[in-house]
Amino acid sequence: MSCEDVARDLDAYVDRELDADTATAVRDHVSGCAACRRQVSELEALGRLVRSTPYYSAPDRLRARVSGRTTRLTHARQLLMWAAAAVLVVSVGGGIALMRPAAPRGNAIVDDVVDGHVRSLMAAHLFDVRSTDQHTVKPWFLGKLDFSPPVADLASIGFPLVGGRLDYLRGRPVAALVYQRRQHTINVFVWPEDDSASAAIDSGSARGFHVPHWIRNGMSFWAVSDVNDAELSEFARALQGS
Amino acid sequence: MPARVFEETVLPHLDAAFNYARWLTRNDAEAEDVVQDACVRAMRFLSSLRDDDARAWLFTIVRNTWYSRVSRRATVTEATLLDTTRAERPDDGLDPEARLLQQHTVARVRAAVEELPVDFREVIVLREIEGLSYKEIAAVVRVPIGTVMSRLARARERLLAILKPSAAMETLP
Ligand SMILES: [Zn+2]
Repeated sequence: MSCEDVARDLDAYVDRELDADTATAVRDHVSGCAACRRQVSELEALGRLVRSTPYYSAPDRLRARVSGRTTRLTHARQLLMWAAAAVLVVSVGGGIALMRPAAPRGNAIVDDVVDGHVRSLMAAHLFDVRSTDQHTVKPWFLGKLDFSPPVADLASIGFPLVGGRLDYLRGRPVAALVYQRRQHTINVFVWPEDDSASAAIDSGSARGFHVPHWIRNGMSFWAVSDVNDAELSEFARALQGS
Repeated sequence: MPARVFEETVLPHLDAAFNYARWLTRNDAEAEDVVQDACVRAMRFLSSLRDDDARAWLFTIVRNTWYSRVSRRATVTEATLLDTTRAERPDDGLDPEARLLQQHTVARVRAAVEELPVDFREVIVLREIEGLSYKEIAAVVRVPIGTVMSRLARARERLLAILKPSAAMETLP
């Protein structure tokens, strides 16, 4: 591949929109060509620069206006759900074994994870414990769950931990860890996996949300956010490796 | 139940809708109006929403709402020249990003994006900030993927021309 060929594909390469063969060809050329490498760096730097501008979040006034007519409904459902979660947590505390469905896979979980994410944003119930300190967040779950979720802070790479809460997913109480990326919220749902074999990151999506998933040390991790795919993948890789 | 579908599929993307509208309109009050109108339309057209594309679907409605509001106005945006004052000579030891960051404030980046013609501006926002794929952008903007690619490339060329200090160019080997 010549520099001219590469130049034509450079944006698509940086945007990860090339088919695998072409991407490999471009990567091979770029690794041996300083001029093209510099252009890749520039495009990537430009992207980060544009993303560094403050995100324009919807003003509360607007949110209230467009959601006014549906909020009462939300609260009623939310109460029911939390009542159900509370009952289950009490059962765990009392040592009663929970009936759990056999680990279901794929889209059903992705849908539930997205539901959980959406609920947390809509009900303004994002946090039970609000802290950027992993040593505060982790012990908070003690006694509230029958497992101890690993808690890592990724502030050093731009994904600060901001808190956690108890959530209820797939018929069981789970840990929800909350991270932030600019104005975006990232929820990470964690629960123990029966099959403790580790699994590499795979990615699902539903309703416009990306959902990377992996299993590590017997824990199942499901991350969900509306940050862009590349950043969420970066987040997932970092958290998996932490 | 439409209210419930709306609340679960559309409202979670309200920030994204507002962000997109704010970049289109470059004005807070107008962006609010556009998004409010778009939500009314979205409520009405919920049945046209497929399962997995609520965000892109909402972007399309926001975009159509805005275009219908400005259709009687001239929408051609002249790219005005920005203040070309250069910061001091960059440190050669820095990587391209650090070099860029060193010399440009967030405000300047935002101004550069805002100065782009709207056709270029929206593909940059949808790609870089909202992270849409080329295919999704093509669906929102209603142009072929090839057009998305050429607009993105030209938008980036312009941004780099504005944001990359000529001094940095000179120091390159
Ligand atoms: Zn080359």
